[in-house]
Amino acid sequence: MARTRTTKKVAQRINLDYFKRATPLKRAKVWLSVLAPLLALGWIAWRGFARDSRVYSSGRLSAVHAVIEKQCAACHLEKAGVFAAKAENRACLDCHDGPAHHSAKIAEPQCGTCHVEHRGRVNLSAARNQTCASCHGDLRAAGGTSNYGNNIRGFEDGHPEFAVLREKMLDRGTIKLNHQLHMKPIKKSANGPEVQLVCGDCHRTAAAKGAWPYADEKYVSAKITYSEKDELMPVKAETMAARHPRTDRELMAPPKFATTCAACHLLTFDKRFEEGVPHDEPGVVHAFVVKKFTEYIATHPNELREIRDPDRALTGRRMVPSVQTLTSAQWVAEKTMVAEELLWHKTCAQCHTISTSPLYDTFLARWSTGGSTGFRAGAAGVAALAESLKLPVPTVAGSKTTQKWMPHARFDHDAHRGFTCQSCHEKALKSTEASDVLLPGIATCQKCHAPGPDHAESRCFECHTYHDWAKRKEVTPKFTLPVLRTGGK
Amino acid sequence: MRMDQTQRGWTVGSLVFLAISAVAYALYALGAPDGPKGGSAAGLTFGIVGFAFMIFAALLGARKRVPTWRLGRAQAWMRGHLWLGFLALPLILFHGGFHFGGTLTRVLMWLLIVTVGSGVFGAVLQNYLPRLMTADVPLETIYDEIGHVRQLLREEADHTIEALCGPMGLPKGADGNGQRAGGFTALRPIAGSAMPLRTSAAVSAGVSAAVAAAPEIVLLRDEESAPLRSFYATEMRPFLQRPREHSWRLADEARARSSFAGLRTLLPTSAQATLADLQDICDEARQLTKQERLHRWMHGWLLLHIPLSLALILLGAIHAVMALRY
Repeated sequence: MARTRTTKKVAQRINLDYFKRATPLKRAKVWLSVLAPLLALGWIAWRGFARDSRVYSSGRLSAVHAVIEKQCAACHLEKAGVFAAKAENRACLDCHDGPAHHSAKIAEPQCGTCHVEHRGRVNLSAARNQTCASCHGDLRAAGGTSNYGNNIRGFEDGHPEFAVLREKMLDRGTIKLNHQLHMKPIKKSANGPEVQLVCGDCHRTAAAKGAWPYADEKYVSAKITYSEKDELMPVKAETMAARHPRTDRELMAPPKFATTCAACHLLTFDKRFEEGVPHDEPGVVHAFVVKKFTEYIATHPNELREIRDPDRALTGRRMVPSVQTLTSAQWVAEKTMVAEELLWHKTCAQCHTISTSPLYDTFLARWSTGGSTGFRAGAAGVAALAESLKLPVPTVAGSKTTQKWMPHARFDHDAHRGFTCQSCHEKALKSTEASDVLLPGIATCQKCHAPGPDHAESRCFECHTYHDWAKRKEVTPKFTLPVLRTGGK
Repeated sequence: MRMDQTQRGWTVGSLVFLAISAVAYALYALGAPDGPKGGSAAGLTFGIVGFAFMIFAALLGARKRVPTWRLGRAQAWMRGHLWLGFLALPLILFHGGFHFGGTLTRVLMWLLIVTVGSGVFGAVLQNYLPRLMTADVPLETIYDEIGHVRQLLREEADHTIEALCGPMGLPKGADGNGQRAGGFTALRPIAGSAMPLRTSAAVSAGVSAAVAAAPEIVLLRDEESAPLRSFYATEMRPFLQRPREHSWRLADEARARSSFAGLRTLLPTSAQATLADLQDICDEARQLTKQERLHRWMHGWLLLHIPLSLALILLGAIHAVMALRY
């Protein structure tokens, strides 16, 4: 017995009305096809009854607006019960002031043009470069005028070299400093140990904490009479003021004598005193020196009688042994003058630009026997010198330290604290002139700040601001909490 | 629908369309100061075209409801469904600037992704599984009738075993005699091997073989038939009744062949033909099970694809109205 199949027999076993019966698969398909749209419709209706319009939102709001995520009408002002399609400026201005860009601008963009919402928890102030480039990409074509570049489309596209470097400006600071010398091993003082300075020994932000390795506590705690105000680069017209105040961690504070120089640059003025003069105005220094000598001679009157030391004669002329007795005033005047000549012409002038009196050879004046030096000899000569002490003390030029080289932009040293100073300021290692501007060029910044996921932010807002926050106006509050959360004002 | 040379026109056309759209999107996205937005002119254009493609793709279901209407060839509709539905995804991504947006648009994007993804998955399955079914399931039948055919096979097996072993107290089918599931009849035996064909040649062969003299039916003694009865009662009949319930030995072709080979050594020669018939019935039942499994793969994705696509169209329409209104 064998089993076989024929087309006819196979066909006979099929019920001819099989297609009228729904299989479980077909039934499930039908039910699900009804159920899914119904569920979708039900969901929409449920959100509608709950008056939750978020369902129609085109995206999550930024973090700063998350609190009004449910309140569409807070920005999309309702007109006749219907939300406005676009958020109007006046809705933004209910909470924010948006100071104008500058008077030369030719377009008044809507807030939402630059601050694009519904993009998730993004930084709302991070405007796209294209927004800025819509004007700055071709300012002339746009009809505007500017003190700045006319074809800037982005940091890597059309942005000029930083102005101070582009225009080869010099540092107008008056403090003389040889960076190269200070970056090599150097003696701490004439007889001191050799030390190797690092940038941070002198350059720190104002908020930076920590001991200064080359500070002198006496100078740190001393009161000074001069102004420590630092000079900023002149700001170009219509430069936008930043919104947020400085944190004192952004820029390097100008180095101070007391904390960075005093340990090496001693201000001693006479071998009789270990103490140096104050780091202050020349008048203060003069008074200090006079006071010190006056106090000294009062306790050491035997020094009024002075024997000439032939070994000090450096002129080669024959010296006659001599003894001279001075009054206290003459002695103080003489010593003060000698000390100040040292101070004004060497100690102070080593770093400062100082307007000094003519250099007098007080020693020769005192012991001169003839008129070849132009001074009267002996007590008369000293008296003449004492007269000279009545001359005005020299003046020290203000340091004119430039603290911010890019007044139009924002830079934060603190954000770059992970990098060595010389990796950007490589010119500091070779600079011998105080007038050298050691600001790194734009190419240095562009090594890291460039478009792409493996680079640091390079969009315009990273360094520049659009609104001129100097023109900021205070906002009158309109919302109350917790009503804002539920849609009221 | 198979992805073959006949699809070349649609393939090339779709790729060209996609390339043009991508270039247009790139130009639009790079030129838009505040980035691509669904509400911009270009964004709206992408959205409208993408939604139109979705609607066309969804209309395939309606088109199938009225197969007699002269609305173009079903094949063209199917290809349009496939390619335009696929293109809807990139167009809608261009529409939203690759942002998923808010709640509704996010839901819409995911519905679209799942719908298109399931569609692509289904298209791949429908490209390969029919070939696999042709190769592995030569005894394929109409899917809806598999249950019925399986019942007939069981009745045929009952009839066969009782013809050889005597009454076993097995429940009878509705008509008592049992319909011949595979065209087999014990009263009109056909010599030679089974012809698992449905061709006219097979029919001719079967017809010519049907005239051969029927051998005498020998009823086995109880001790002779014991192994077969036991096998039938404990393995084969449960397998025919509930093929998916357990991992039956007979559900696996190699193990089934081994089982029958072992059984063959225990039975007299006169029972070998009947045993071959039973093995044939098992083979067919197993193929039906495989057909069921392949069929579920081939059509199961539609349980996701169709309902979600309908929800997508509905919510998409709501989104369009709300977005255009506000």
